[in-house]
Amino acid sequence: MRGSLSKRIAIWGLVWVSLITLSLPTLIVIGASFTAGEIIRFPPEGFSLRWYGELWQLDSFKAALARTFYVSAICTAVSLPVGTLAAIATVRYRIRFRNAVQVYLLLPFTIPLVVSGISMMIFFGEIRILGQLWPVGVALCIINLPFMIWSVSASVNAIDPEIENAAMNCGAPPLQTFLTVTLPAVMPGVITGGLLMFILAFNEFLVSLFLTDSRTVTLPVQIYNSIRSVITPDLAAVSVLYIAIALIAVFLLDRLVGLDIFLRSK
Amino acid sequence: MVEIAGVSRVFGTVAAVSNATLHVDRGDFLTVVGPSGCGKTTLLRMIAGFDRPDAGEIRIGGVRMDRVPAWQRSIGMVFQKLALFPHMTAAENVAYPLKMRRFDPARIPGLVDDYLALVRLAEFKDRRPHELSGGQQQRVAIARALVFGPDLLLLDEPLSALDRKLREDMQLEFRRIQQELGVTTINVTHDQREALVMSDRIVVMEGGVIQQADDPVSLYRRPENPFVARFIGVTSMFPGRVTAETPEAVTVTAGEATLKARGGAALGAGAAVECAIRAEQIAIGPRDGAPRFENAVDGIVRQRIFEGERMVYAVEVPGLGGAVLNVFDHDPVSHSVYDEAQPVRLEWAARDLIAFPAGPAPAVTTEHKPTGSLTT
Repeated sequence: MRGSLSKRIAIWGLVWVSLITLSLPTLIVIGASFTAGEIIRFPPEGFSLRWYGELWQLDSFKAALARTFYVSAICTAVSLPVGTLAAIATVRYRIRFRNAVQVYLLLPFTIPLVVSGISMMIFFGEIRILGQLWPVGVALCIINLPFMIWSVSASVNAIDPEIENAAMNCGAPPLQTFLTVTLPAVMPGVITGGLLMFILAFNEFLVSLFLTDSRTVTLPVQIYNSIRSVITPDLAAVSVLYIAIALIAVFLLDRLVGLDIFLRSK
Repeated sequence: MVEIAGVSRVFGTVAAVSNATLHVDRGDFLTVVGPSGCGKTTLLRMIAGFDRPDAGEIRIGGVRMDRVPAWQRSIGMVFQKLALFPHMTAAENVAYPLKMRRFDPARIPGLVDDYLALVRLAEFKDRRPHELSGGQQQRVAIARALVFGPDLLLLDEPLSALDRKLREDMQLEFRRIQQELGVTTINVTHDQREALVMSDRIVVMEGGVIQQADDPVSLYRRPENPFVARFIGVTSMFPGRVTAETPEAVTVTAGEATLKARGGAALGAGAAVECAIRAEQIAIGPRDGAPRFENAVDGIVRQRIFEGERMVYAVEVPGLGGAVLNVFDHDPVSHSVYDEAQPVRLEWAARDLIAFPAGPAPAVTTEHKPTGSLTT
């Protein structure tokens, strides 16, 4: 950069302020989780893994964590085929009512989560599945599906529309064309969307609050319940767990898709 | 090898292809050339099986293609944007048609290597398409189209995206490979130069209608209608009227000039005509020179462009109703150079002036109105 010194100072100053304000809460919570004291504070009192140990002793936490994994897995498993096929169909094929279908699929995004939560609670109650765990995963899939569709649509848009004709020209019947050419070509979007769906489901709080009870409570709801009583450093430890899972997702994204592709959002 | 009989394709109210009939002999390189939207790509897609004709039939190797889906046709195709599979390496792209067509798996690696060598890409076999240059991607696409030994090769303007130098190299490369393998080829392009350079035969299309099919030299020498005359080569056109006609020559008045034109068209005295003359057939010289050819008109140089191997003039001729004629002088080294606004005399031989019947001839669309103005 050739700008004057003051310009460079201003730009770098802005960059550092942004970086610090973005990462500071995370760094504080990580620090606080290693405290040896009784309350959350920063800087921590001493250093210990005490609260991680306490967390691990807590059966309610372990059960909630397991349920959250289960719910997120269901959400991801449902959204992969549904979102992928919906994105390919609405972007690529001249299907009837294409615009209406597109709007309909993105509709969950325009509805406040409170409304979604209440309506799904009523609906699940009506069909007598409220109180079970798997419908929570399906519900999270429904409210977050637009992210999956956007992610795959971006991949579909990036590929040459002729590659399917090219595959047929090479002798591949339609199903083979889909399995060996279309699907692998949109795989970056599918993987990105799948990881996104998993993380979103793992973090989802409001809709889960409506759909779970004490037997099916998921981790975000469990955290909410515990901060209503007393705030102890084990919450900081849970937060670190969340940060770790987010980092794993980013790592997987880099290994499977390549972060450069994701950041360029091809 | 390929027979196309009365094929039509209509999109809504637009006839993309109307009643097209042509044939391609085994081993021939045929180019379908025309401006964008002339129906050439639609025709190619019907041959490939991506689209169906509304009328007429397509036969390949004597077999009607009506009920044969694209993936069961023995056709290799190089697409306009190549359409390589982005998640496969060069070698996997080339192996794909062999796998899909159930070749003996033991033979596949050898065939892939052979064809990558044929397109001179052996050392790049493990690269993905995005790691290859434009010309290299082109070669992968050619190898993929040819590796399974198709009866027919289709080229859908694959060279249009390349820069000029690479395009000219690839034209010769296509021709070399095509002749080496002797595969019947149909090429589609809007580039008349490419058509002339590469083809055994050329089909000129416009408005969904085949205008003329001929070998390159005949097509260039004897265009059958004004569209072909204008589309192939640099041709100037101006209107005239037939005053006398013999089997050998036609006498035409155009503006104040009386000109002799090539005979044989049976136009009839008094008929309105469009006259066509190619830029390289016109000799440019001073007004006081000795006459060299049957036809001579006086004009004023309006533009002079030096292209190195030739000088290009645009000369306004008041005696032809102000028509502007394009003139090439292919010897800018020893011939005189005429500057803008300089008076000159243009001359050409009677056999080089072609008189076409004016107005909408049966096969020509009317949107290309004859203007007699600068045409390049």
